[in-house]
Amino acid sequence: MADVTSSPAISGPGLGEKTLDLLLSGRGIWPAVPSIIVLVVVAVIPFILLLSLGFSDIEVARGEIVSQTFSLNHLTNALSDSLYWTTFKRSLSLALSTTALCLLFGYPVAYLFAVGGRWTRRVILILTIAPLLTSGIVRTYAWLVILGGRGVVNWAFLKLGIVDSPLRIMNTHWAVLIGMVQIHLPVMILPLVAVMSRHDNRLIEASENLGASRLGTLRTIIFPMSAPGIGTGAALVFTLSYTTFVVPQLLGGGNYLNAATMIYEQVVFSLEWSKGSVTSLLLMVTCLAVLVMISLATNYFTGWTKGRDA
Amino acid sequence: MKALKRSSLTDIIGLGLIFGVAIFSLILLVAPSIIVLIISFDTRAYVSFPPEGFTLRWYGEVFQKSELVESMLNSLQVGLTVTVLCILLGVPTALACVRGRFRGTTALSVFVLVPHMVPGIVLGVAVLFAGALVGVSPSIWLQSVAITVFILAVMVRTVQSRLMRLDPALEEAAANLRATPFQSLRTVTFPLLMPAILAGSVFTFVEGIDNLSVAIFTHGFRDRPLPVELLALVQYTSTPLVAAVSGVQIVLAIVALIAVSLTIGLDNVND
Repeated sequence: MADVTSSPAISGPGLGEKTLDLLLSGRGIWPAVPSIIVLVVVAVIPFILLLSLGFSDIEVARGEIVSQTFSLNHLTNALSDSLYWTTFKRSLSLALSTTALCLLFGYPVAYLFAVGGRWTRRVILILTIAPLLTSGIVRTYAWLVILGGRGVVNWAFLKLGIVDSPLRIMNTHWAVLIGMVQIHLPVMILPLVAVMSRHDNRLIEASENLGASRLGTLRTIIFPMSAPGIGTGAALVFTLSYTTFVVPQLLGGGNYLNAATMIYEQVVFSLEWSKGSVTSLLLMVTCLAVLVMISLATNYFTGWTKGRDA
Repeated sequence: MKALKRSSLTDIIGLGLIFGVAIFSLILLVAPSIIVLIISFDTRAYVSFPPEGFTLRWYGEVFQKSELVESMLNSLQVGLTVTVLCILLGVPTALACVRGRFRGTTALSVFVLVPHMVPGIVLGVAVLFAGALVGVSPSIWLQSVAITVFILAVMVRTVQSRLMRLDPALEEAAANLRATPFQSLRTVTFPLLMPAILAGSVFTFVEGIDNLSVAIFTHGFRDRPLPVELLALVQYTSTPLVAAVSGVQIVLAIVALIAVSLTIGLDNVND
């Protein structure tokens, strides 16, 4: 700030400096232009191409497209294929149950955070953020060790005499579900905790001073206020678990097909790009549909809380 | 008001249940990592619980396997490239979204979010196909750019939310003291944004290293990133080698966590 007096702003800036200042002050759209260009080139155009590939017959030779004609074949084929329906239904139910279970296991942690002291909060934050810093594959691998034939669960069950021979847990629907819930749990807890830390704790105190029970306070004060966090967490967990292929691939065995593993096989192994495009588009559309429903539900509940305040 | 009546027995049972589940969940978050750490020191060449003996052999193998070391270096490069690109693109964009005086600031904020809302796997497929059409084959650079587009929204949002909570009076004061917009940006706004930029960088760096959904379609054949290498390793290796890789990652995560809590604070990361 020492050089303020010598700054050209005093003598009235020239046009070049004015532009530069406008650029740097961030009042114009200019600072965002590089981002917009990159997003258009690397996201918008590819999506349009994906759309065009999904609605055309193409020939691929050595990783490059040689001919392309418009057709609805791939979409109608996909919609009449029972494999698509079972796969998408499986993905959807898996993702929805993962989201519900993450909320069930995650919300109590957030409540503990809301009522806990400084150290409780710090421990919760560390335990939640730490897993996110390690790879999802590493966290999935842990479940191979735990649920495998010679894994922790079978060892404990055999020791306790619950079973006589090792249970087959790996490569089942349950293994996938357990892995999904544990891996996405931090993603549910973080938005909840963020909402809780923005709460005015005096509201909780006031509620209790007015004679409300702890559960009553949870139900009438904390829960409605955390609705936006629940919405964010649910949206994140749903998107991730609906579109992951690591967990189904590793814990479900080779034959556990969800929408994501299906896309992977179509694009990478069988090189059916049009099919892969249609599956990708279906995945995206169904995912967005559920996200819209989640956000409508969140708005409904948030609006309801606000209405009661008035 | 009858819902608010004090009922201590249900209160105790209900709270006991909630705290019980909370503690179970917290254990669930870390137990798998601890079990993997235990397994990584096992002397046997297959994964089995409980371990017998203690060896550092698998950790040695991690750094002797050249494709594993190479993939780590590749991912490190991707992580750094993604972070630098996100800072260069994201911070000015956040500035335009919040400080902008043009029509469509809201539309801009939404537009930046879109690639992040789309499933990573769909973005990956789209970029792969688009690249093929214009003759850009998958490479470490295509992968870096694709992940940047995917995660840019996080940087923009983090900086944006910090920017919105800044007291405008600070910048006005700078302007009143005749600072040019650039001077006030450099000396007032930027230092105040630093924690948000750092927090955003943590996310973009981790995503660059860890992303699989975009990377699996866009990575180069010869320079495979760590997640792709790990996925193959988990599927085709039965030794505790993967546990040792996990062990390395867990130790790095703890170091990162300590670094974060000492510099920007854990509360700032989750905002």
